[in-house]
Parts: sequence; structure tokens; C-alpha cells
Amino acid sequence: MVVDRDLVRHLSESSVSVELQTEEMTLNIGPQHPSTHGVLRLVARVDGERAFDVQPVIGYMHRGYEKLSEVRTYPQITTLINRIDWVAGYANEIPFVVAAEKLLGLEVPERAQYIRLILTEMARISSHLIFMASYPLELGAATPLFFALRERERVLDLLEGVTGGRFHPNFNRIGGVKPAYGSGSSTRKVIQDLPAGFLAETREAMDRVLEAVEELELLVADNEIILARTKGIGVLPVDVAASYGVSGPNLRASGVPFDLRKVEDYLPYHLFDFEIPTGENGDCWDRWYVRLLEIRQSVRIIQQAIDGIPSGPLQAKVPKIIKVPKGETYVRAENPKGEMGYYLVSNGNQGPYRLKIRSASFSNISILPWILEGVLVPDIIAIMGSLDFVLGDVDR
Amino acid sequence: MSTFISDLFANFWVSLAGKVLLVALMIPLVGMVIGYAEMKLSAKMQARVGPYFAGGRWGWAQLIADGVKFFQKEDLIPEEADRPVFKIAPVLVLISTVALLVVIPFGPGIIFRDLSVGIFYALAISSLSTVGILIAGWSSGNKYSLMGGLRAAGQLIAYELPLVLAVVGSVMMAGTMSMGGIVEAQIEAGYPYVIIQFIGFGIFMIAALAELSRIPFDMPIAESELVMGYLTEYSGFRFLFFFLAEFANMFSLSAIAATLFLGGYWLPGIPEDVLAYAGPVILLAKTFLLVFAMIWFRWTFPRFREDQLQSLAWKWLIPLALANIIITGALKVYL
Amino acid sequence: MTSSPSEAVNGEAEAADAGTDADTETAAPEPHPLQGYADDVATAVGGEGAVVFDTVKVEVDSGDWVSALTTARDEMGLISFSWLSATDWSSEVEVGDPYPEAVEDRIELLATVADISEGRRVTFSTTLTKDSPTISSLVGVYAGANWHEREAHEMFGIDFEGHPNLAHLYLPDSFVGNPLRKSFPLLTREVKPWPGTVDVEAMPGGGDDEETADAPSEENPEA
Repeated sequence: MVVDRDLVRHLSESSVSVELQTEEMTLNIGPQHPSTHGVLRLVARVDGERAFDVQPVIGYMHRGYEKLSEVRTYPQITTLINRIDWVAGYANEIPFVVAAEKLLGLEVPERAQYIRLILTEMARISSHLIFMASYPLELGAATPLFFALRERERVLDLLEGVTGGRFHPNFNRIGGVKPAYGSGSSTRKVIQDLPAGFLAETREAMDRVLEAVEELELLVADNEIILARTKGIGVLPVDVAASYGVSGPNLRASGVPFDLRKVEDYLPYHLFDFEIPTGENGDCWDRWYVRLLEIRQSVRIIQQAIDGIPSGPLQAKVPKIIKVPKGETYVRAENPKGEMGYYLVSNGNQGPYRLKIRSASFSNISILPWILEGVLVPDIIAIMGSLDFVLGDVDR
Repeated sequence: MSTFISDLFANFWVSLAGKVLLVALMIPLVGMVIGYAEMKLSAKMQARVGPYFAGGRWGWAQLIADGVKFFQKEDLIPEEADRPVFKIAPVLVLISTVALLVVIPFGPGIIFRDLSVGIFYALAISSLSTVGILIAGWSSGNKYSLMGGLRAAGQLIAYELPLVLAVVGSVMMAGTMSMGGIVEAQIEAGYPYVIIQFIGFGIFMIAALAELSRIPFDMPIAESELVMGYLTEYSGFRFLFFFLAEFANMFSLSAIAATLFLGGYWLPGIPEDVLAYAGPVILLAKTFLLVFAMIWFRWTFPRFREDQLQSLAWKWLIPLALANIIITGALKVYL
Repeated sequence: MTSSPSEAVNGEAEAADAGTDADTETAAPEPHPLQGYADDVATAVGGEGAVVFDTVKVEVDSGDWVSALTTARDEMGLISFSWLSATDWSSEVEVGDPYPEAVEDRIELLATVADISEGRRVTFSTTLTKDSPTISSLVGVYAGANWHEREAHEMFGIDFEGHPNLAHLYLPDSFVGNPLRKSFPLLTREVKPWPGTVDVEAMPGGGDDEETADAPSEENPEA
């Protein structure tokens, strides 16, 4: 009696008179679709504009990083994992190297920790900026994209200047950041540090980011149609979000002031003064606005870090060939998308015995079947976009 | 010689051929001008440069290059498509835009055909393009196209009413449905009707945007939801037809709005004999002002949701338009 | 791998081992600050609690799996489901030297749950037999377990009883095998061995000449 149940639900929700006979069809959104952020596929039953039983189909970008990690050495793995969430590639590396350092018992020099922190926050800014730019585009407003991407490019240029890569920095080494010396016997040994002028330029870029955020707020937050499209849409209650493992800004938008930067010690965030912005209703609008507020906090953190950055080495003493002692640990970090963690099992060898990658987007979009039940087709896009996922982060 | 030419144009068939040729040239020309304006203006609004290289300077030849490109593309018709209907849909859409131009007065006496029911004809013809869109969506054999076509149909029904009701005010004030007559009535009154009919003008412009399926009412296309809506399966010159029709339709509806509410080819203080020459320029200026506003909206707003559009039409625009008619009637009677 | 660098490598690794051992030994008299919490959780759910490298790990019987996590959710406030996965302890190895331990014929199922206020997190672990790994599903307790269990099912071949839809998550439906089991060969490695251990990236201070590998150049002179 499936049909009857659906009919009743349909009638109660769309208040169409009983005489009107409608026919359901199966709509296949993706894997190639303008707003699935890559290769996500949604299979939905639609009745007119209303969708039921939305089932995400993932795995089109599964690259098997967990298996690949088992046949690679620790330094080689950072190359893989910054391709998980490529929008914030730098931030992915941190929990992994911290996990390895924890097992090794390494103390990372303070300057390296500060650099990690600054670059992580820059990755967060660039990730949030691309979300805040592309979300209005999904609702049909193309213009905010350019205002946000302009400043994002500035941030990425700085990241590239330090790490050599815009998206895939591969800048972290176990025990610190990039080697302080050029490698190879034929290479002249040159002391490397942050590029000259990096801190000053970052400070300037942060001011520009604040301006861009201001502009974006004017462009988007005062737009009646955007508010009409996002307020009260896709409300995510806290208990549901928690049981699905939704984390990061998506959880905070539901009103939970929980940020792993405050409770975990993977980077010295306790030294800095920042707030945890939260939303009120947990709807699409809050998810957008919380990220806007988070950019401001990230800028605050970076400004404080630039003021307080100590001098010193960038790299702890590590053996030439790193063998991580036996042990296991789970290190999680506040990635731009949410909780990113690595469960690292080492058996005393050069590569991990097992590396479980807990990525934020995977859990964040596992809520799609729940949150998309019975919504309108345009709202599918609005809700899906507001969860801010990256398919590389989903499929790993 | 000159008598020969005037005799020649006095011939019904020759003048008809001349007018058809003029319209046929006008559609691509207007399409290109507006298309280029859209590219350049959107670029300006988004801190970009826009077309730059085509033609050597300012990218002026970009639209010509695009047009040539469309003709080079393969003309794909999906296996599942209803072929004859699929082929006729873009033609239908284009024809309705061409036919719209017939009743627009470009100057005193410069009009392809001054029908006594001009505005009635224009509104009827303009909704024909939505029928073309509906059958384009239906015949494509694609679910996204179908949904786009159905949304267009829903939009047509919702917005045809406010569009017609918004016009009624001006028609009542002029006392005629002839487009030329409405302009003459405004000349006689000495002011453009927008001064009194500002509600009607606003409703007309909103409904015209919905009719055109432009942002914020582009749900039939909605590229982030429906890929490209009813256009999904179209390629090559059939796509070009839709593309041209959109821009030409923008022009026609703006010209109608300019005629009904902004005084058409007339500007206060310009003598009658100058108007015969300056008329088309004045009308074009007013029209492009409205086209600019449409482009401006396009790059400022996101799109509505289908149900929000319906409630905007039925709960706000139609009651407002009816109230406008009552007020106009009262003014007409008591003033 | 030739013998002399490999010895040097072992030497270094032992040195590193010794370093961490010393650390843990000095820390041993003082219990880890999280040890008390681990004991609390273990008592509440009826398992054994330990803190390994700042990670609270509680081992429970596979029969108590669902009840333990229900208790954790309802009584310990661990309402957020972080992840679920497994480790195949067959000890086969593809990088570096073989492990000294014998093959352990078990699969360890892991699930981490957390709270969303104080930052507490507990990794629950249970042991499954490798031949027929079967356990009750957590979907009724944590809705988010759904996808994670599907992933563990296809990657490790673990059967979750009571799971609504144990279909493949990542892999095509026709895929045979459980890729994350140690016995599953990585075919590209079979065809072409990964340079892996030979071509290790030179770390700072370490020249990449093999003769100098055992020289004290591993020290970072700038440090």
C-alpha cells in the first residue's frame, strides 16, 4: 500500500484537490549536473515540484586513499590527503601530521605551529569564501561570486607563495613545516623560511577579505529574494544533526557553540582570542551567515598570530627515515567543512598500518535523505548547496 | 525616379516585402545589440572586462562570432524527442517576437500596422512564445526539459493576468486600444501615463520579466536546478533561435511598456515635425533604458521559487492591478 | 633494500622508539588526565577503558556493542556519531620490514562517538572473527551509522544485522572483494612495485647519499 501512503502525504502537503490525478516520475540529478559540486548523484521521486525518497549515490570519486595509505610512507601520504577536501587542501594535512607526531612524541617548534595555524585559517577563509560566493549562484545570483573570488584569489596567491601550491600545498612535514634545507647532495643548502614580506602581505590581504565580506553581506544579506529562498528552508535540528555526525559550521548554524579549535589541542588555538559564531534556526540562511561570521573570526586569529609569531626553527629533529612507533590514536581537527580526523594505527613501520580518514562532508551529506524528504525541487538545490560539501571529501 | 519609388512602395506586395525584410533584419540586429549590452553590462557589474578581443576593439564582434559559432554546431535532436514538434518550437517562439514588432509605433505614422486592437493583439501574441516554450519542453523527451516547460506554463497562467490588468489602466485613460492612439492620447494629455499609472507600469515590468523567463523569474531555465530547463536538449541554430527570441522579446516588451507608459516616441517640448524624424530615436532610447533595467535585475537578484512566484502573482500583483483599475476608473469619471 | 642502510634505519627507529618509551614511562606514575573519564565510561558501558595517545578507547564485547553505545549516547551524553570503521589485524605489510608479530586472525571494529559541548570523545572497539564478522547494526542508535556501516561492509565484509540497506556505497554493485582487508592485493603494486621505501624523501639535514645516512647529519643544524 505504498501508493496510498504517498498519495495521502502528497495531498496533505500540497493541498491539491483529490480529483487531480498526478503521476510520479523518477528524477535523476547528477552525476553530471551543474550544482552537485562534482559527481554526486541524487535519485528522487518527484511529483510535480515535490521530491520524495531522495537517495544520494556517492562513490564516483572514490580514490581509495585508506588503502593507498597502507602502501605509502608517512611523508608520501600528505600528498594524497590534501586532495581529500581540495578546497581547503592545507587544512587536511594538519590532523594527519599531528597524529603521526603524537605517536612519535615529537614537539613541533612553536614557529612551525604558528605557520600551520595561519595557513590553516587562510585555507578556511578561502574555503568559506568559495562557499559564500557559489551559494548565491545556486540560487541564481551570479554577481556575488566575483566579489568573493577576487579576494579568495589573493589569499590563494599568498598560500601559493609559501607552499608552492594553490590547492595542494603538501607543505607539512612530520615534525614541522617544509624542510628548512634544500634537499639532495648537489643542491646548495639554503635556509628557508617564510617568504619575505609574507606576514605584511597577509595582514593586508586580511583587511581586503574583511572588506569583501562586508560587500558580500550588503549584496546578499539585504537581498529579499535570497532571504525568502533560504529562511526557514532545510531546518536541521541539533539532535538529528548530532546523530548523523554533522559537524562544523553546519552544526553551529543549528545553535551549538561547539568548535574543535576550542576543545582540541592540535594547534595552539588556546593562545588566541576568538568567538564561536552560531546560528539560531539551523536553516539554509544560518548556514550561510555563520560562515560569513567565521571568516571574520579567522581574520582575527590570523591577525593575532601575525602579531605573536615567534622566531625559531621550522622543523623538529626527525630521523631521515621516519618509523612511527607502535600505537594508535585519533586526532580530529576543525576543518572548514567540519570535523576532519585521522585514526592512525601504526605498527612501528615506515607507513601506517591502517589510516581511517574521517571526513566532514561524508557525514554532512549523509543527512541528505532525511533533510530532503518532501521538499520542493528548487529547495533540493538550496539545501544541498548550504551544506557546503566537496565530493573529494565525501568519497575520499 | 522618386515617383517610381513611391509608386513601387505604394504597391501592397512591395511594401509588404519591404516591411518583412526590415523586421527580419531588425530581430538579429536588436538581439545582437542587447546581447552585447548584456555581456558588457554584466561584466561591468561584476568587476570583469567582458568581451574584449573579438573585432579588435571592445569585443564588438563577439555576438557575430557567437552567431557564426551556433550555425557551425551540430544540430542534435534527441532520440526520444518528438521530432516535428521539437523542430517547430523555436520557430514558434521566434515568430511571436517578430509579430510583436508589428504594432509598435516608432514615430507618428511609422508603424508596420496600427491595429485598432493593437495592445490586445500584442498581449495575445506575446503569450504565444510561452506556448512555444511549453512544447519545446514537452517534445525534448527529457525530464528536466519537461519540468522547465511546465514551469513556463505555470508562469504564463500566473503572469498573463497581471500583464493584461496592468495595461487596462492606460487603455482606459487613452480610451483606445490602438498603440498609436495611446501615444497620441499621451501627447494630447501632455504627460506620459506613468505619472498616474506608476502601479500599472511596475506591475507590467514585473510581469514582463516573468513572461520573458528572466531572472528573478527564470525558473523554466534555472540552470542550477534543471540544467537548462526547456533549452537542455537544444543546440546549434535552434538554440540560437531561442537566444535571439529572448533578446528580441526583451526589446519588444520594453518598447510596449515605453509606448503605453512613457509616452512612446514622444518627448515633451519637441515639436510635431521634428518628432517624425526623432521619434524612432526617442522610442529606442526609452526602450533601451528599460532593457538596461532588465539586465540590471538579471545580475542583481537570485531567482524565486516556483510557489513564491505564484503567490506573488496571485496574492499581490493581481489584487494591486485590480485596485489600480478601480482607481483609474474613479479618476476618469470624477476628474 | 641493502643491508647497511636498513640497519641504519632500524637504529634510528629504535632511537625514536626509545625516546617515546622514555616519555611514556616518565608519564606513567601520573595517570593520564583522561584516564578517570575512560574508567567512568568503561564502568558505565561494561567494558575496559584505556587512554592511548590522548584517545579514550573502550573495549567491549561484540555482544554488548549496541547496548554499550546506547548507554554512551543516553547516559554519557556522547550524542554525536563521528565515525565507524575497522582494522584488519592480519599483519601483512607492504611498506618496510615485515612485522614481528604473528598474524592475528581478527577484525577490530571501531566506532568513535563524541559530545558536542565539552569535546569528549570515546572510541569504542570490539573484536570480530575474521571468518564471519557479524554484529548488530547501530543504525537504530545513531542514524549516521548507516553510511559508515555500508562502507565497513563493503571494505571489510562485516555484516551488520538489522541494517536497512547494506548495499555498496562506493564500489560498483558488481565489485567482488573487500578492499581494505589486508589480504586484498593492490593490483597496481603487484604489477609495478612502489619505490616506497627505497625512494624515501630526504628529510631536513639528512643528505640523500646513502653513505652519509648513518652520519649524524640527521640533526637539524639550525635547531
